[in-house]
Amino acid sequence: MATPERQAEILEQLKNSVIEYDEDGVTRAAGDALAEGVDAYQAVMDGLAAGMDVVGTYFAQGEYFVPEVLMCADALYAGLHLLKPHIKMDPATMVKGSVVIGTVEGDIHDIGKNLVKMMFEVAGFTVHDLGRDVPLDSFVDKYLETDADIVCMSAMMTTTMIGMPVVIEKVRAKNPRAKIMIGGAPINEDIASKWGADGTGKDAPNALQEALNMIGVLRELGDQFTAQRTQKEWGADGLLDPARS
Amino acid sequence: MPDNSRDTVLKVLRGQKGDHIPNFSGMGSITLHGIEQLGYRFNEIHVDPRKMADAAASTYRLFGVESAVVPFDMGVVAESLGATVKYYEKADQGQIIYPTMTRKVVDRANVAAPAGLSQAEANTFVLKDLERQISEHVFQRPADLAAVGRIPVVLEALRILKREVGGQIAIGSWTLGPFTELGQVMDLEVLLKLAAKKPDVVTRHLQFMVDYLADVIGLYIAAGADFITVREMGATSSILSPRMFRALVLPNLQALFRRIGQVPTILHICGDTNPIIEMMAQSGASALSVDQVNRLSESRAKLPGVVLLGNYMAYGEPFCEGQPEAVEAMIRKSIEQGADGVWPGCDIWPVVPPENMRAMMAAMEKYGAR
Repeated sequence: MATPERQAEILEQLKNSVIEYDEDGVTRAAGDALAEGVDAYQAVMDGLAAGMDVVGTYFAQGEYFVPEVLMCADALYAGLHLLKPHIKMDPATMVKGSVVIGTVEGDIHDIGKNLVKMMFEVAGFTVHDLGRDVPLDSFVDKYLETDADIVCMSAMMTTTMIGMPVVIEKVRAKNPRAKIMIGGAPINEDIASKWGADGTGKDAPNALQEALNMIGVLRELGDQFTAQRTQKEWGADGLLDPARS
Repeated sequence: MPDNSRDTVLKVLRGQKGDHIPNFSGMGSITLHGIEQLGYRFNEIHVDPRKMADAAASTYRLFGVESAVVPFDMGVVAESLGATVKYYEKADQGQIIYPTMTRKVVDRANVAAPAGLSQAEANTFVLKDLERQISEHVFQRPADLAAVGRIPVVLEALRILKREVGGQIAIGSWTLGPFTELGQVMDLEVLLKLAAKKPDVVTRHLQFMVDYLADVIGLYIAAGADFITVREMGATSSILSPRMFRALVLPNLQALFRRIGQVPTILHICGDTNPIIEMMAQSGASALSVDQVNRLSESRAKLPGVVLLGNYMAYGEPFCEGQPEAVEAMIRKSIEQGADGVWPGCDIWPVVPPENMRAMMAAMEKYGAR
């Protein structure tokens, strides 16, 4: 079992390797964490996710751009795949939520969607990824099939976002209280609100930023989640708004 | 004799003053209202030259917008290089979906990980294999560019437009920029990472793309295009660093605009262009186009001698979902911020109500006279 100092060192290595998009460094540190008895959930949250939190700050500050964020995400995934099988599946502490996610029909740009998906996976959600160019009815069908907590839709182009309100209307027709998030370059809060979505990025170019911000929110929430509370918290509260979490 | 719309648009693009500020676009500017008036279905206008031309001209004929532009979707060049484009039948049923690339030339759907790998190992395998494929790929030029895919459709539509409305308004055509087009034909995620990790690989493909796009554009001009817009939105500062723009994107834009030469050109980038607007001005394009994210007054001050087109938001509120009075205010603001020509920051959303199109053109009459 690692001493507290050694544990902190390993978490720092995980964090910094994500920030420096060093996949090998993440792999080594994740191996150390497992070999030396660091709790896998803590390694994910206080190592990998903490690193991605900093990446989000760098992105916001214009220090990192999309290529760098993608490389950081690869590094995070390298660690997540190693650590995730070792997370103790304690129903009292694990998030039980599930998400249906996809890029709307006519749109094949899925980078933002994949990053949001990653954030949900880090937080322990079950993610039903429909992929890209998803027929609008497939969102509704999958939502009904899985009884998911959240439906997430992404569109990169102004020419494809028109499909979103169609899905929102159909999902709401089945369940007026369904939680729906939309994101992508042309989406802003006004559009999300007008179409009746529950959450989005705060302004158009920062849709990706909001996905990154989720990491911080999810880390703060991580310890609070219980199987009983999850549905209530995520059902009642704004998903992406740290102030309300 | 007063200038007609074509004269004014071309004067403005050449940096001269016309007798009014023109309202035109170098990007898709069709309206559902116009298509319905013609009795056409949305998915026909991308594949039939007569219908493509009629749809493009309808925005002028119905509302007085001073240009007609083809094509409407982003798949024409990618398709000519071997990408698969999907045409959506549902586009007939009130749901507007533009033709979209569903299978790129280098696409992750073509990579099968060996059996027996864990999900993580399979993901890694796919990403590494895509990197290898992109690094090794050599694009094949079609033998007869003018005959491949839908390029002949666009060429015929341009000839029709030139013949039928080319005396009154400016005929425009466009392609994506080299970097953005590359992202249409190769896995974008891997390409963006390679732009950071192996810029020499990306540069080799960009140089091919410059030559290829220049040849496509040459055909468009020969068929009747009066001006050409190059849309390099994949290189916006919402995605790429200004440093990468300078090193990787700008030299290839400069090479492309040098090749076009004979007609006015516009470089369009949407999203955040504030950090790169001065570099855009070094591209060699005759004019720059930005969207509503650009602080146009600041750009105007930074670039006093450059033709700036901007920058009304051609979707959402108010243009498509607001009241005509709000559309008038939006157009007035664009003129007051110093736009040399009023033009949208993106494709016009086809669902724009006709009364808002009329309000926009009425605002041009009111505020756009010189």
